[in-house]
Amino acid sequence: MKSLFAKLLLIALFFASCHHPLVLQQKTHQLYTINNTGKLDSNLVKMLAPYKVGVDTQMNVVIGHTDIPLTKAQPESTLGNFMADAQLIAAQKLDRKVVASFVNYGGIRINYIAPGVLTRGKMFELMPFDNTVTILEVSGELLKRLCNHIAKGKGWPVAGITFKIKDKEAQDILLNGRPINDNVIYKITLSDYLARGGDNCDFFELLKKRYTSIFLRDALIEYVQQLELQHLPLHPNLEKRIEYVE
Amino acid sequence: MLNRRTFIKRTATGSALFALGGFPFESFASSKPIKLTLLHTNDVHSRLEPFAMDGSKYEGQGGVAARAALIAQIRSEEEHVLLLDAGDIFQGTPYFNLYKGEPEMKAMSMMRYDAVTMGNHDFDAGVDGFANQLIHANFPVLVANYEFSGTALEGKTKPYTIIKKGGLKIGLFGLGIQLKGLVPDESYGKTIYIEPIQIARSISEKLKKQEHCDFVICLSHLGYEYNYNKVSDLILAKETEHIDLIIGGHTHTFLDEPKVIRNKKGKEVLINQVGWAGLRLGRLDFIFDDKKSSNLLQTQSVIISKQTN
Repeated sequence: MKSLFAKLLLIALFFASCHHPLVLQQKTHQLYTINNTGKLDSNLVKMLAPYKVGVDTQMNVVIGHTDIPLTKAQPESTLGNFMADAQLIAAQKLDRKVVASFVNYGGIRINYIAPGVLTRGKMFELMPFDNTVTILEVSGELLKRLCNHIAKGKGWPVAGITFKIKDKEAQDILLNGRPINDNVIYKITLSDYLARGGDNCDFFELLKKRYTSIFLRDALIEYVQQLELQHLPLHPNLEKRIEYVE
Repeated sequence: MLNRRTFIKRTATGSALFALGGFPFESFASSKPIKLTLLHTNDVHSRLEPFAMDGSKYEGQGGVAARAALIAQIRSEEEHVLLLDAGDIFQGTPYFNLYKGEPEMKAMSMMRYDAVTMGNHDFDAGVDGFANQLIHANFPVLVANYEFSGTALEGKTKPYTIIKKGGLKIGLFGLGIQLKGLVPDESYGKTIYIEPIQIARSISEKLKKQEHCDFVICLSHLGYEYNYNKVSDLILAKETEHIDLIIGGHTHTFLDEPKVIRNKKGKEVLINQVGWAGLRLGRLDFIFDDKKSSNLLQTQSVIISKQTN
């Protein structure tokens, strides 16, 4: 009995050690779109239910409304201008000398908001990260470098500054309508993510920075709420802040 | 009637055989082809619920309950199913802000994911934040080019794993994107990023040559393609020799069919990526048999695409 076991084990080891090679002969591909016309898995619905109650309670709060569809695009978009404007106002509350605002294009996290009510949850989707409003002191020269970085990236949301993109370079840069002086130090606002070198903004490393505890998301919520108090919809205009030229 | 002693012995023999890769006689007589059904997602970004019905582009699409039902349906039809995700499980809806990834991990465990890799946004609650949620995960996290020594993830991820389906031996490994500049320094902490190509070469070779895997899959969060000098799935496919399939992520690329690339040895590598947000589920069916040569080696493979709504 003992030896039979040993023999079987040996045979098993032999076959296990020489894995029978298999060769790929055919491949097919299929794509499913997950939509709401099919079945739902009730176990997943049950698992999610308590979390959903928490999310809905906190997020389905109406904070204002918009009268136009808001979209994400380059070089300029309504969602982008809204974010850059809200960030600028939040920064200017802390320091009136802040002249311009920059948001990285990848920081717009949804493509579309429908006309109608705006909820707190929608602002969480637009800016889910806990990025904070940061104020930076930059020379005119470095500001141009940032604009060229943005030009290479095909355009980011900005406020307080305008320029044109030609051959991946920034041209005709104007700060509130006036040309930049290379030797002047300007105060600008962007997220702590960019200030720390995110999105390849490594040129901010040695600059003087003021980190704040204000979430960019809270700045968005505040901006919409302020409009609502004045009975105004959120209505960001496209103003050719950044445009492509031949 | 079996006496207790014999019964234990027989069971022990049986489980020894099983532990060593199933009954050998099965692969002995394996003239029968084996079909592997591979399902995959990437960059789901905490999209547990479908997009709201608000006139937006993706309204009504996505959601874990619908995805789970579809996966269950496919599992009922196919014997050998592998379910994979290429990272960025976290971040993107208030679920993540409020619950830090717990329902995401629970949902993926319930859907029985076989393996995942880490995306840059999986560091958004810090290395500790991801490590904390692993108690809710019943699948391995594969990442070969992050060194987690001295972090909360030390010993909690694996560079690769081997999964057996029928007589088929599948090697899987994971690759993550460069963190510096993409993820705040304090979020990834002491994690060290290692250039992926060399690691991919050595692991895929090990899986093919030493572990004798029939098929090697890379779960990659490197991104599909860049218009500047940065390592991507296209480069990874061209620069290696032993990868058969790359399940990609990061660039949110909607590939309507897998991209076929010739590797360093002229062999075909498939790359697939299904956008983001759990809008789509990718499916690839592979049929293997024990014939010596593959007719895929000589010819450009024909990929049959089916769009299912």
